[in-house]
Amino acid sequence: MTVCTVIGRRALLAASLGLMVSGSVGAVLAQDNLYGTAEAPVEIRMIANEAFAGQWQDAMVTEFNKHYPGIKVVIDGVPYPELLAKSMLDATGPEPTYDIIIADDPWIPQLAEAGVLLDLKKDAAQWTDAGYDWDDFNAAPLAASEWNGVQYGVPLRSNLLLMFYNKSLYDKAGVPQPTPELTWTDYMAQGEKLVQDTNGDGQIDAWGVDTYFNRDVLTPTIWQTILNSNGGQLLDENNKAAFNNDLGKAALQTHIDLLKFAPTGGSSHSFNESLQAFRQGQVATMFMWGSVFKGTAVDPKTTTLTTDQVGIQVMPVGSESAGAHRGIWSGAVNNKSRNPAAAWALLQWLSSKEGEVWHSNTLGVFPARKSTLASTPEQEWLTPVFAALQMGYEMVDTGHMWRPRDPKSDAVQQVLADETSRAISGQIDVAGALASAEQKINEIMGN
Amino acid sequence: MAITAMDNQTTHRRSRTRARLADFSSRWSFMLPAAIILFAVLVYPIFYTLQISFSRLDLASFTASQWVGWDNYSTVLRDDRFWQSMQVTGIYLLFALPIQMVLGFGIAYLINAPWKGRDVVRALFIIPMVVAPVVAGGVWRMILDPLWGLMNYWLGQIGIGPIDWLGTPSLAMATIVIIDTWRWTPFVILIATAALLSLPKDVFEAADIDGANWWTKLWSIALPLLLPIIAATFVVRWLGAVKMFDIVLAATLGGPGGATNVINLFIYEQAFRTLRFAESSAMAVIVLVITMVLTGAFLFGIRKLEDVQ
Repeated sequence: MTVCTVIGRRALLAASLGLMVSGSVGAVLAQDNLYGTAEAPVEIRMIANEAFAGQWQDAMVTEFNKHYPGIKVVIDGVPYPELLAKSMLDATGPEPTYDIIIADDPWIPQLAEAGVLLDLKKDAAQWTDAGYDWDDFNAAPLAASEWNGVQYGVPLRSNLLLMFYNKSLYDKAGVPQPTPELTWTDYMAQGEKLVQDTNGDGQIDAWGVDTYFNRDVLTPTIWQTILNSNGGQLLDENNKAAFNNDLGKAALQTHIDLLKFAPTGGSSHSFNESLQAFRQGQVATMFMWGSVFKGTAVDPKTTTLTTDQVGIQVMPVGSESAGAHRGIWSGAVNNKSRNPAAAWALLQWLSSKEGEVWHSNTLGVFPARKSTLASTPEQEWLTPVFAALQMGYEMVDTGHMWRPRDPKSDAVQQVLADETSRAISGQIDVAGALASAEQKINEIMGN
Repeated sequence: MAITAMDNQTTHRRSRTRARLADFSSRWSFMLPAAIILFAVLVYPIFYTLQISFSRLDLASFTASQWVGWDNYSTVLRDDRFWQSMQVTGIYLLFALPIQMVLGFGIAYLINAPWKGRDVVRALFIIPMVVAPVVAGGVWRMILDPLWGLMNYWLGQIGIGPIDWLGTPSLAMATIVIIDTWRWTPFVILIATAALLSLPKDVFEAADIDGANWWTKLWSIALPLLLPIIAATFVVRWLGAVKMFDIVLAATLGGPGGATNVINLFIYEQAFRTLRFAESSAMAVIVLVITMVLTGAFLFGIRKLEDVQ
């Protein structure tokens, strides 16, 4: 009886141990299945802007695979103008190709409304590392991928519209170099002096400013930022147009007045032309996305300027604050993904403290985390950029300096682009352009 | 005997029916694959566009979710940007097509005479046609840039400019017409050259004997004989020009203001940038109907001209 009992206990213990071991193995196997193994990898696909898809595929995926060798990542680059439509078409299909969608700042509401995104704080919580610090993100970049209280994404490539200035041209013109305290009034007063003949041949060869002026959806972001700096907003809390007033008129007029100091043909300039003019040392200031800093001040293959010659800071101060405009590329997981854990693992690693530091030091991509921005970057040129970004994030958060947050955001932005371009080209006056934009936007928003 | 005749008749009728059936089946067995492909790639998308244009499009499933009748059409017709784009398209067509036709046939007539190197020149004419339109738009944008462009540099040498080709509303449309003409005139030249080579030589020889000069031969012989070809080329170019948007996309983005915002660019932006697929489909249907009506009118006119001849 005793022997039987002993045998019974041993058998029970063995069985329990066996169960525990097999349970652990099962858990490990399950873990391996989620994240694959080197022998049997899981494949995830990402749709991203072709401007950085190649760089990510070559450098970022290699680094990621050091941490997750079982996850094979394929990144498809798509030109920016078609990216939203292609992402949407794919994501809404019964069997989407892409596990990860890289979305520009105003796109998350549209994708979320289509019901294709995973709630990262709820649905992906089980796969979230305990050390993943959500609170370390600056509020503004994280908010870009939040919609109706749900966090659908994480910031991967953060960007702000900032002010670049050519120190040499400022010195030649005898104008004090800008500081974050520079106001729009002072800046406009200095503009004329910055249009100059630098080599004394009697021909103007340097101008005051270049930025977005043509019929581009990003052109209105310039006067939107001026409006925000003066305490105004594009839409009110009911999504009704709130810019057709004195603040709006002054902001758009300031944007138009910038043309007085812009190079010949500036009215048809936008991203490429502004960059070219600034990088060739032909304009003293440029309102542009901060992410171009490396190609503008560091890389001799793309610029004639050096780090010593280029300054970067927030845009001038209005009646309320300095300005900046948010442009965040966020990563989101398709809720129909077959490998959501693996997809979230990639986004989690790239947006983690460790991943962000690697991303910024190796590829020069701008971070969103306070800890990264407070750290000393390996590349010296990033130091002034980090300072401008941290200040900019705070401005953006306080002044709500971003494009409309709504599924119809792009339609609103297109109307603003149309009317801004008409006003800039003199086809309509400022008051007429804003009144027309107000009426169309209210119609689009159903007001 | 009578019964046998009737039997023969019945048998003959049956065999005729069988032959007709066999003929019908064999014809359709050849036509069916092409008909299915044609339906899949041509008819189905048109009907799908038509369906979406009368519906609300559910972005979550990308299907027509609710019948809304004429709502999308009414929204489009009330949108002044749609009418502005139609107007811009009209201006573009009004200038681009006649210029291309006159230049194309004119150049073809001038280079028609046999001379050394004619074949090389003809081959060179093909180059603009094979350059991708987006590349053509981008290259021209660089050439015409007031700050760095070659065109303003050359004009500057003779004391003209700088001219803001793409930033001035009226000039921007002229620039688009120039780029489009550069791209498509060679197509007209090629067709016109082939047409000129096929003209009967004896008529011209007879005219020479009668003492007709260069102008008389052009006006009284070549042009009347070429009229059907000119008309057909015009319709082909018209159908191509109505769809133009890629050059504008690369060169001006539809600006300044809406000065070069042709209807196809507007439809493209509304569909793929702002995801208003239902309204865009309504616009596409309207443009399709207008194009069909005008093409029908042109074809009717061509037939009348041929009848007159």
